[in-house]
Amino acid sequence: MAAPRARPAWLESFVGQLLALLASFGIALLIGSLLILAYGENPIEVYRSIFDASLGSADGIGYVLSIATPLIFAALAVSVCFKGGMFNIGVEGQYYVAMILAAVVELNFDFLPGPILVPLVLLGAMVGGMIWAAIPGVLKVKTGAHEVVTTIMLNGIAISLVAWALNGPLKYNDAPEGAFVDLRTNVFPKTGLAGDLGATFGITPGAHLSWLFMLAVGAAIVVWFLIRRTRLGYEARAVGSSPGSASAGGVSIGSTQVRLFLISGALAGLVGMQNILADRGYLPLNFVIGLGFTGIAVAFLGQNNPIGIIFAALLWGILSRGEVALQISSQVPREFIIILQGLLILTVVITYQIAKRRLAARQLQRAGMAGELEDSDAPDESAGPRGPEETGAEAFEPSDEKRI
Amino acid sequence: MTSGAGAGGSATPPLVVLERITKRFPGVLANDEVDLELRAGEVHALIGENGAGKSTLMRVLYGMYPADGGRIVVRGKEVKISSPRDAIANGIGMVHQHFVLVDPFTVTENIILGEEGGERLDMEAAQQRVAELAESYAFRVDPAAVVEELSVGEEQRVEILKALYRGVEILILDEPTAVLTPSETRDLFGNLRKLREAGRTIVFISHKLDEVMEIADRITVLRRGRVVGETGPSETSKAKLAEMMVGRPVLFRLDKPQVQIGDPVLQVADLTGEGKLNGISLEVRAGEILGVAGVEGNGQRELAESLIGLRTPEGGTIELEGAAIAGRPVFDIRNAGVGYIPEDRHEQGLVLNMSLWENAVLGRQDDADFSGSLGVLFIKKIKDLAARLVKLFDIRARSVDVTASTLSGGNQQKLILARELETDPKLLIAAQPTRGLDVGAIEFVWKQILDQKAAGRGVLLISAELDEIYALSDRIVTLYEGSITGEFPPDAPPEQVGIGMLGRAPEEAA
Repeated sequence: MAAPRARPAWLESFVGQLLALLASFGIALLIGSLLILAYGENPIEVYRSIFDASLGSADGIGYVLSIATPLIFAALAVSVCFKGGMFNIGVEGQYYVAMILAAVVELNFDFLPGPILVPLVLLGAMVGGMIWAAIPGVLKVKTGAHEVVTTIMLNGIAISLVAWALNGPLKYNDAPEGAFVDLRTNVFPKTGLAGDLGATFGITPGAHLSWLFMLAVGAAIVVWFLIRRTRLGYEARAVGSSPGSASAGGVSIGSTQVRLFLISGALAGLVGMQNILADRGYLPLNFVIGLGFTGIAVAFLGQNNPIGIIFAALLWGILSRGEVALQISSQVPREFIIILQGLLILTVVITYQIAKRRLAARQLQRAGMAGELEDSDAPDESAGPRGPEETGAEAFEPSDEKRI
Repeated sequence: MTSGAGAGGSATPPLVVLERITKRFPGVLANDEVDLELRAGEVHALIGENGAGKSTLMRVLYGMYPADGGRIVVRGKEVKISSPRDAIANGIGMVHQHFVLVDPFTVTENIILGEEGGERLDMEAAQQRVAELAESYAFRVDPAAVVEELSVGEEQRVEILKALYRGVEILILDEPTAVLTPSETRDLFGNLRKLREAGRTIVFISHKLDEVMEIADRITVLRRGRVVGETGPSETSKAKLAEMMVGRPVLFRLDKPQVQIGDPVLQVADLTGEGKLNGISLEVRAGEILGVAGVEGNGQRELAESLIGLRTPEGGTIELEGAAIAGRPVFDIRNAGVGYIPEDRHEQGLVLNMSLWENAVLGRQDDADFSGSLGVLFIKKIKDLAARLVKLFDIRARSVDVTASTLSGGNQQKLILARELETDPKLLIAAQPTRGLDVGAIEFVWKQILDQKAAGRGVLLISAELDEIYALSDRIVTLYEGSITGEFPPDAPPEQVGIGMLGRAPEEAA
């Protein structure tokens, strides 16, 4: 927060969050250790192999960053809707549709120079995501259809849509005669791809690191600004927390929700770009699926805070990369990584809640000692069955997620 | 009265003794060495302003909060109560303001939940037991009714029966009348008297002094976490109790400013909607406060929401200074010069988990003063606005960055008033503006409403409290089943207005 007076509180909450984060990692790793021991392996060895594979080398870091890239976009998409009190389960379908549109742009405008083609492709992807997100948004506002139900159904339609496109209008015709090729589109023009960035830093091209990672970080900053500093973000948070008060204040709930869904869809549209523009260079039938769902987990881990989401996605990337090492160097099954990811979500969510209450309590107390509270009274008792220790949580600055 | 010997002339020893109970919340000393004695067969009123610590004290007794100091003695033995379960085992039950019932279950299923007794469930026998229990204290409730179809008053009876079913002797009721209509309150008091005759003890938390004077045998007054006195209704008066609660004399009647009544600000004709509004016509003039009296649920909420634009009326016209506003969006109606104090400040007034500054600008975020053409908020300016409102209305808050949920009810209402009056509206719609507030805050809100009149603005006051209607209104109309049933001058006898509130139906008025 900009106010200089709030600075020490901000610093305190930052330190508090860091400690909470470290504690939750510690607990998750500790429980993980027990599992590793149950397999008769040495936890330190296993964790070291995960670390070595991910952060132990430039190549490893490259892999982590490129794994994190789509997850940042997906988690941001989830969090934007969440601010408005909605659950966008449809990021998955939204990025499928976005990939189709991106492929259409690539293959039809292949004559354009790169600096024009690539932005056009990204725009096409965002429009694709927005179209698929607009449907549940409008249905919710006009008919009251719950977005969880409609987005799940649209996910099913989207996957069929990809299959249809690849079997029909977008089916490849550039393969050599008689060769067996998996179902895919034609190969995109070289100028239309997200070029390899790894070589500059001595990272293997196999990591497929591209500027898309920078774009994802930029998107997170834009989302933070949108939620915290603009009218739309303000209205979205009001609608998400108290629809009645927002509409009595003249905010149009329907229009706010549709706009949030559109922004969410645009972000979702960029989820698939790492896969088709950096990893593959065409849209195959076996593209990476499930990123939208993983995005929900990453959004949780990042506490729906855009900056938190960047770190959560990186952590997810570290663990996913570690999965490879696990298979090579130990008897621990790869599913252990999934368990560890689940444990992390649990411990982070729990310790954050505890830390948040503690910190809010501490800040309230300090304000009380300063004497400003001498004749103030306790929180409104009719505000609901809530203990005073839970109130004032907003003082804990970046954590503004709605509890569910 | 710090020791058990303090029971004085009373022959029986007290049933429950709270000794030097201290409870701290971060930065707040909610209970500061509070002593309290409850005797068998009494209705003991616990009164005080919001935040005085009355609910906290009772939550300590009910095992919801651990005390930081002091001890609890029940029937002469010191006990440790660390959960509601312990409290019930000691014969102590509590009914909260917010009910915890399973909506799709029947009354009986709700009452026996957790106390089914055995694996085989004999629902008919249970229903019989519940019916007998209800009858013995004259509770009107159908044991087979499904809870979601019950009124608020009936749900409250179910909550009380739930506690009685568990054999509690000491029943704590946290502001039980806050959610009741006047007739439901009368029913409740009938039940409470029956319970008292049966030797049960009732703790009645309230800040409605008329009710306390009517039902209580003894009254303990709390202020800022301390007991400031114990008295009985025969030894005190409403004014004295109010002074004990607030710490200074309180005016129950304010002088109405003399203002020239001007042209009509609001004209409503034949307003209908959703079966709740059946052809309402009324008029509010500049410098006038029109009081709409009526038992709640007769269309008050629908009337207020139609005027501010939250509902679209099915028929009729609404004109603000001659311009039609019926069916327009809230945003337009507010901009045309209407301020709105909603009857539920949490549902429609504030966003509780947002900061004071964010709440202070709600409804005006589009103003060129507060956000740019690209939609970027001018946070510095909004915080300045909030700081000014906090100062002007003496809102007790540590800073404008704290969330609205940390404010007391009175301060929350002040924040809403400050926000709504800041734009200098031509018409103020005030729906139940003092609901749940303590006497000090009521006085403040009333004064602000009278100031609007003095400034030549129109005010539509909708209230279920006849006291409030009389204290403020220049004219009174009564609302019954969505129609205006009568218009009265401010000096009409309350009985007449009361008949209007009952729709002139002679059998109900009797």
